[in-house]
Amino acid sequence: MRHPVRWLIVSLLIVLFAGNSFADVPGADVGKKVGVLLVNHGSRSATWRNALLQLESSVTPSLLAIPSVKGVKTAFMEYTEPSIATRMREFDAAGMTDVIIVPVFLAVSPHTFDDIPTILGMKEDPRSLQQIKIENIQRYTPRARPHLTPPLDFTDLLQKNLLRRVSALSKDPAREGLVLIGYGDETYDKEWIELFNKVADFIRERTGIVGYSYGWCGHIANYNPEETTAAINTVLKTADTALVIPVLVAHDEMFQIKIIGDGIARVPDNKRRVVYKPDAILPDPDVERWVMTVAQEYVEKIQGQVSQAKR
Amino acid sequence: MMMWWKRLVSQFNRETLARLNVAVHRDIGYTCTSLILAYCLSGIAVNHIGDWNPDFVITKQTVSLPRSLTKEQITPERIEEFGRLVKEDSYKIYDFPTSDQVKIYYDNASLHVNLTTGEGTYEKVSRRPLLYQVNALHLNRLQGWKWVSDVFAFILIVLSLTGLFILRGKYGLARRGRWLVLAGLVPPIVALLIFEIK
Repeated sequence: MRHPVRWLIVSLLIVLFAGNSFADVPGADVGKKVGVLLVNHGSRSATWRNALLQLESSVTPSLLAIPSVKGVKTAFMEYTEPSIATRMREFDAAGMTDVIIVPVFLAVSPHTFDDIPTILGMKEDPRSLQQIKIENIQRYTPRARPHLTPPLDFTDLLQKNLLRRVSALSKDPAREGLVLIGYGDETYDKEWIELFNKVADFIRERTGIVGYSYGWCGHIANYNPEETTAAINTVLKTADTALVIPVLVAHDEMFQIKIIGDGIARVPDNKRRVVYKPDAILPDPDVERWVMTVAQEYVEKIQGQVSQAKR
Repeated sequence: MMMWWKRLVSQFNRETLARLNVAVHRDIGYTCTSLILAYCLSGIAVNHIGDWNPDFVITKQTVSLPRSLTKEQITPERIEEFGRLVKEDSYKIYDFPTSDQVKIYYDNASLHVNLTTGEGTYEKVSRRPLLYQVNALHLNRLQGWKWVSDVFAFILIVLSLTGLFILRGKYGLARRGRWLVLAGLVPPIVALLIFEIK
């Protein structure tokens, strides 16, 4: 050891380069512990919640097979536990460094864009802050770094999903009209209408169904069945039969039975002229695949950040 | 002798009970006044939830940009320019809900701009004084308040029952009171009948 300082520098350089090359291996676990949180709106309906919990059960084995994903959970934004705050606390307790938050919501809305980030301390939207307080939703800023994915890009997925459900109900497309009933959103009304129109065009092209109309059943419609009735009546002006499809994530008695059901009951001669099945988007293997794809993409982003930081 | 004694005891009990009834009704009435008023006020406000926001005053202002922009053209400097349109000196953050929209967050306010149309909505949120607070009580937003509400509901039952026996004679329950109690039953029964027929 004639030059101990030189040896020390050389050894340090070897360690540093070795570390870098390890981080560059795709999919390598670089000390990141990633959790995946499937966030949904939440509901008082147990059927609704079970559908979302079933989604978690279906995707968990595949998600846990992704290197560095160490946990998968579901959180309900409103009404019931486990809430987002509860789940993020659990992830923190488990020592997660990053959490990928997948909003299982139909399209952009203040829930995905403002409420969830505000709950997680990523934003302070004034309206969300007030709403969260009066709805007793806990805010929690996690130690783990949250990565919020966009909401389900449902365009392709919704097209396939609805085509399957419409085809199952359709008997005489040339005499039928399509009625899509969704939650709707006041702020992003344009986006919701565009999404529904696009999906309806896709279905009508492939099935030959003549008419089309849509209606909202959520907050924007004051949870009233009137919009459902109006949408059906619009379609029935040109078609003999209306196929009513709930474009809702899961089955909730209040929506599929009470609001949409009541809306149908107000249509004259509804037993003969309205075809309706109170089903929902879930279960759908394509939604599971989407969750997998988006989680995988974000894991790679997280690992990419680590690699870049090491360089 | 016995008859006289029985009558005296019975008279005494009736008098005592009547006095007790009045005292209970009076004191519960005094104690519950503020909460009854709060719940009534909130009840009226929440009844019209479809027509207004009973908790918040949401002030909106429309702004127009001189020209349409793209997401790529949005810089912190531009965001500050937008802020000047609504007299906001500094923003917290900004974010893009869609590829042609930007939302800017301020203290208790936000500005949501559609970059394609150049139209924006500035929104300020503030609590409705008094109504926000009474709604918090009425809608059990306070943790544990539902138990207070249950006790309050029980007390209101006592209040209405004791109220039935305050007066005797011409204006008592046995005569005029009976008809008024029955008259009070008419609106809910008619409403429910109409509801069932529909």
